[in-house]
Amino acid sequence: MGILHTFWNSPIGPKTTHFWGPVVGWSIPIAALADSKKPPELISGNMTTVMCVYSALFMRFAYMVRPRNYHLLVCHVANESVQLYQLSRWARARG
Amino acid sequence: MAASKLQAFWNHPAGPKTIHFWAPTFKWGISIANVADFSKPPEKLSYPQQIAVACTGIVWSRYSTVIIPKNWNLFSVNIAMAGTGLYQLSRKIRHDYFSDEEVAVAQE
Repeated sequence: MGILHTFWNSPIGPKTTHFWGPVVGWSIPIAALADSKKPPELISGNMTTVMCVYSALFMRFAYMVRPRNYHLLVCHVANESVQLYQLSRWARARG
Repeated sequence: MAASKLQAFWNHPAGPKTIHFWAPTFKWGISIANVADFSKPPEKLSYPQQIAVACTGIVWSRYSTVIIPKNWNLFSVNIAMAGTGLYQLSRKIRHDYFSDEEVAVAQE
């Protein structure tokens, strides 16, 4: 009960955008996961390449920002993985 | 006068010596990639991806104003993301739901 109370009132808890920012950020890797089941011709080379660099930079950002945001860090690690996978599918489909 | 402004920028806590600068600066790439994709046919756009881009843009615009250091670069790039995402969504929705007559004619 106490931990829930602590979480609820935390400066990076659900009453703050420090929590909801990463929550909505998960939509990007989840969208990519959904798109990974579709044919690779639908993958945008532009967007996927950009996403790979973007998540690499934001892993660092999440660590350095105050308040430090491990939730955001994990989100970008996940996105980096799935975007690299999509990039490999796109590259292979191009032949 | 200009030199001191440049120095202030260079030494800013969210300035070019920090990740607080480069991460948001690079994030412009997402909106630029999206603008490049404005010329893609709507069948090739991804609903999940564009909804994600639009929603993150909106929520993150708020986030940028409450983190330390406050980050207007991050704020503006998220506004752009929301804008391009919403535009791409409108293109795809218009194609999927409001151009049925053209599709029907083409199929005949």
